[in-house]
Amino acid sequence: MVDPIEFFGNHTFRMVFFGTTVIGLVAGALGSFAYLRKQSLISDVIAHSALPGALLAFLTAVVVLGVSGRNMLGLIVGAVTTGTLAALFANSIAARTKIRIDTAMAISLTVFFGAGMIVLRIIANGPFPGKGGIEDYLFGNASVITIADLATSTAVGALALILMLVFWKEFTLRTFDPVHSTVLGFRASVIDTLMFTTIVIAIVIGVQAVGVVLMIAVVVTPPAAARQWTSTLPGMVALSGAFGAIGSGVGAYLSIAVGNIPTGPVIVLTLFVIFLVSLLASPRRSVITTTLRRARARESLRRELLTETTDR
Amino acid sequence: MSTGPIACQTRNLSVAYRADPVLRRVHFSVPVGSVMGIIGPNGAGKSTLIKAMLGLVTPLTGTSEFFGQPLDQVRRRIGYMSQSTSVDWDFPTTVIDLVTMGTYGELGWIRRPGKAERARAMASLEQTGIPELASWQIGELSGGQRQRAFLARTLVQAPDLYFMDEPFQGIDAKSQQAMVDVLKDLRAQGKTIVIVHHHLATVRDYCDHVTLLNGSVVASGPADTAFTKENIRTAYKAREGAEAFLETAV
Repeated sequence: MVDPIEFFGNHTFRMVFFGTTVIGLVAGALGSFAYLRKQSLISDVIAHSALPGALLAFLTAVVVLGVSGRNMLGLIVGAVTTGTLAALFANSIAARTKIRIDTAMAISLTVFFGAGMIVLRIIANGPFPGKGGIEDYLFGNASVITIADLATSTAVGALALILMLVFWKEFTLRTFDPVHSTVLGFRASVIDTLMFTTIVIAIVIGVQAVGVVLMIAVVVTPPAAARQWTSTLPGMVALSGAFGAIGSGVGAYLSIAVGNIPTGPVIVLTLFVIFLVSLLASPRRSVITTTLRRARARESLRRELLTETTDR
Repeated sequence: MSTGPIACQTRNLSVAYRADPVLRRVHFSVPVGSVMGIIGPNGAGKSTLIKAMLGLVTPLTGTSEFFGQPLDQVRRRIGYMSQSTSVDWDFPTTVIDLVTMGTYGELGWIRRPGKAERARAMASLEQTGIPELASWQIGELSGGQRQRAFLARTLVQAPDLYFMDEPFQGIDAKSQQAMVDVLKDLRAQGKTIVIVHHHLATVRDYCDHVTLLNGSVVASGPADTAFTKENIRTAYKAREGAEAFLETAV
């Protein structure tokens, strides 16, 4: 067990902590819009489908450009490309055929992820420099985050957050009532492209530290927990960002402090604890108080109905 | 047909979902200052007609004009009140914020609403009789209150031409009265209202003009000439509800 003083005294561990905190903050805040637009599952399609892109970016860097394959910007560009293609593929199947969107998403996710696994095997079997630990893209390894990685993901994440703040009004309007937004004269494709861009960024910056398999948890769990406590959109986005940051930071710390566990799973479990507490303990939407209140209301309604019939 | 100024006009409008025709060459116009009821059985294409006119559904043929101009030139003079079932009411926002969204069109891209917009939203809530609900979560509203909040969101735009999709659907008597009062006010101010309605017995209470629709226009014009027994029978063919209505009314 590594104690906190030792942890934060260590450069690598500091990188791990701040790297994952930034990821959690960005993913949690922007995840609120994915949650409210009911796009949690399409976000998972993007996350899983980021794998072949991230790996092809590695191959391109090593084989074609002859530079180091472990470059955060290259990883992001590759991941955004295949993640976006997978989402478009799923949507276009659902739009053009009678196949439902859930089936289309499952097909798209598995074909892109499957292709990614094949590329992963090709890299593992080939003589590529810097390939050690490349399989960490699956479940994440925060301990390899460098200062350059941190700078890149902070810059890209900040860009996404700025887009969200600048177009806050348009994002809110389109998320709540897409039809009204169009009638008022806002071009749907412009808002959707901007929103999609921010959500994709929120997902792919976590590929290295959290991994493609579990990154979706950092995007959807914080907003689901935050919604329990707050009833305004600014409150929800802020709290969700905070939950994402705390869950990721604490999860990354634990994954290193406790032993050598992949970072992704520990972050997911930490976020789940936050989610569970939110479900049970939130003042207005707690599962417990809601169930009790409903039972009481049903009981009083039953009594009322019984007295009514006896009166007659 | 009346010769006064025209608020909106649709020529030769056809709509198909995939390859199934919903509307065939719809042609009608709405005089300024009238309350035009779009009446017809389920599946007649009433909502689709409004959506196609407002560019929410791409028509197969035909065009629509508003005050003699294409939609994009006059968007700010047009308000659309959709059915309140079209959104998720668990969205984390308050009633006043929802109504303020009606001002977003005139604000344009990026500019945020300020005090003036909020004050106007409050005034719209007063008009619809629910100012005390301003700070409520929208999820706490009843069906009638939701419709009134939607009406307030449309009013805050201060349009000259209103499109309302089934505004009386599933609401309580009090909310219905509040809506009727607002409609009367708007009419007194000379606004034009196009209202999708399917309750035959109350058509005469709200509308002075009627378009009977069943895939295509059966009749359109002043209620006295368009809303006749024969036209209703044609539009509804031999539907039971309409038969019962025809025996008692008109």
